[in-house]
Amino acid sequence: MALAAADRARLIQLAQVAQVDRRAAPVSLARDRVLAVPGRFGDLLGGAIPRGSVVTVTGPAGAGATSAAVALAAAATAAGEWAAFVEPEGRNGASSLLGGIAAIESGVEPARCAVVRAVSRERWATVVGALLDGMLVVVAAIPPRLALGDARRLQARARERQAVIVALESVPRALTGAWPADATRRIVIDGVEWRGLEPGAGLLAERVVHAHVAGKGAPPRDARIVA
Amino acid sequence: MRTCFVRCPHWAIIAARRRSPELRGAPIVIHARVGARDLVHDASEEACAAGVEIGMRWREAQAHCGEAIAFEADPLADARAFEPVARALESVTARLELETPGSLAFPTHGPSRYFGGDDALARAVRATVRGVLGAEAPVSVGIADGRFTARLAARTDTVVAPGGAAEFLAPFPVARLGEAALVGLLERLGLTTLGAFAALPEHAVLERFGVDGARRHAWARGDDVSAMALGDPPPDLVVTMELDPPVTSVDAAAFAGKALADRLVGELAGRGLACTRVVVEAQTEHGETLSRTWGHEDGFRPGVLAERVRWQLDGWLAAQAVVIPDGNVRAQQDADAFADGGLDSTTGALTLLRLVPDEVVPIPARQLAFFGGDAAAAARADRALSRVQGLLGFDSVGTLVEQGGRTPAERIRFVPWGEPREPLRPLRVGAEVATWPGAVPAPAPARVFDPPRPAELLDAAGLPVRVGGRGEASAVPARVGCDALAGGGGPVRAWVGPWPGDVRWWDASARRRGARWQLVASTVAGDVACLVLVEGAQASLEAIYD
Repeated sequence: MALAAADRARLIQLAQVAQVDRRAAPVSLARDRVLAVPGRFGDLLGGAIPRGSVVTVTGPAGAGATSAAVALAAAATAAGEWAAFVEPEGRNGASSLLGGIAAIESGVEPARCAVVRAVSRERWATVVGALLDGMLVVVAAIPPRLALGDARRLQARARERQAVIVALESVPRALTGAWPADATRRIVIDGVEWRGLEPGAGLLAERVVHAHVAGKGAPPRDARIVA
Repeated sequence: MRTCFVRCPHWAIIAARRRSPELRGAPIVIHARVGARDLVHDASEEACAAGVEIGMRWREAQAHCGEAIAFEADPLADARAFEPVARALESVTARLELETPGSLAFPTHGPSRYFGGDDALARAVRATVRGVLGAEAPVSVGIADGRFTARLAARTDTVVAPGGAAEFLAPFPVARLGEAALVGLLERLGLTTLGAFAALPEHAVLERFGVDGARRHAWARGDDVSAMALGDPPPDLVVTMELDPPVTSVDAAAFAGKALADRLVGELAGRGLACTRVVVEAQTEHGETLSRTWGHEDGFRPGVLAERVRWQLDGWLAAQAVVIPDGNVRAQQDADAFADGGLDSTTGALTLLRLVPDEVVPIPARQLAFFGGDAAAAARADRALSRVQGLLGFDSVGTLVEQGGRTPAERIRFVPWGEPREPLRPLRVGAEVATWPGAVPAPAPARVFDPPRPAELLDAAGLPVRVGGRGEASAVPARVGCDALAGGGGPVRAWVGPWPGDVRWWDASARRRGARWQLVASTVAGDVACLVLVEGAQASLEAIYD
């Protein structure tokens, strides 16, 4: 958000070039099979996440978990690939929806970003599995008490398809649970400070997100992201 | 465009006499029902001599000419009778446009040169028509610039010189323009002739009488630019299949649908076309017509279209399965629920299936990106989304389209997968960007509640904050409460507002008046930025900046 439009465009271009470069390479090494993530959330993840992995995102309502997930979806659409959001069932029928304008502002190409609405617990694993066949990034709100077996099956499918599951563990006013299996990266957002808005004046301008990342093959990091 | 207009006056009488030659010389009256009245449509010379007038009541005509032989008007038979004339004239020109039975028009450009001038062309046309109808047949030919002028010229068998249209038209009464409302108004304004109407400035006519008036003004000026609808008629690309016996099972309907889809795609491919938008239509045995548009930006391939047709039929027949078992209230409620969910509820089996290609394009040259890129990804995504659509229903999977609006919820439209990605309120109209004064400024919130969650916005004294008629707040917000916020809400740390919004004030049923605050609340889980709307006495949480 604080990223100027020109900055964002440049980062997206760089990501695209990197992606084409990787596709054109005669041999792809494991360390090359990554999804480049531009922007500040990308810096938090070391610039890229391995394909075929699971990234969990959690944090209290309003701290920025959705924005972090959107940044990963934007990385996929910027590279010419597809992303999908699996929206959760709401508590008493009323859930919050992904803010499409916010997604577009963060660089998601809406023509290549599918949204699946109000997926029930029973169908959830089937739907996510089907989406992994066609999408590079599937941002899925995790239903409560997800079976470990289902999670492992999806993880295996993502590895096979070289797709990325972004497990969104908290969504305002929705029934969500935790990802029961292990994950490549776990992003925990502790809190947010908003800048620009004063009592009775100003406008929301930018925020500082307090995030913590842990995962395999990378040291845990604490970061304050201006986004 | 210089046009020749050929007219056989009293064609209905000529046609009647051609059908029954014994009527020659007898008075004939042809009458037709116009609304509740029975009026004289056409009358032979003998009947006219006895006092019958075209347009008079049939009963009155009988009083004038009791011995007249009467027929009901039969435009179809008249048109059939005119066919030999039209066919004969095809030796003069290949590009005929029939106007009514008894009159036709064609552009003179080629024929006139061939016959050596307009007068020679008129003679040739007259001779050709008389060759069919007999040497005595009345036929009038008018040649002039533009069709309207030619039509008037044909009444007097005139050839109007190029550029002389305005002069020729000037003395005619405005009634010839044919539009009753316009003619009445012009007459009351004292503009009784086409010349007087033509003398008005063009922009003034456009302002006062609109586009239609301006077009007729151009006619009166002898400046008729309307092109004639010539050339090959567009091929009929609609494919239809009668389902006999009527079909209730999804599988049987889908089987028929697949055959139909393959036929459509095949026929289009034969013409080098692909269909990017298709309307699937079905009729039930109770006479209901169902229709739904499906789109595919690269054009449907056979399997893909068959699949779409199957889903659509599945949707219609599945919705119906809920209604059919019994007609009680519960079933009806279920049907309503389906209708609300976007499915059309139907009754009865399907009897007819039709695929109408709504938009066709030349078959796109399909080229995959150099490194197997985007097109392959799109095809994979299409398969995955179609499969999820099969699992959850048509309306639960889609993409988002940005559109015009003020609030985050209004600015996004969810379009089911496969439907055309079009906004309801376009962002730009022509070259102009639509503006939405009072829109919530960027950044946009990442979580939107639709409908908004009930909330409370309280001032320091614990009273609800209200907004007056002039958009001023009763107090400064101090606390926001909502079940979507951690811990049920918290004190307001920063705010801006109220931003008053009065939308659709011209429409009493859709009018919404409210005021919005952008605020940051301190909850037990930390700061939350959100958008709060106060409408009347009720506050609601519209979105969270998550």
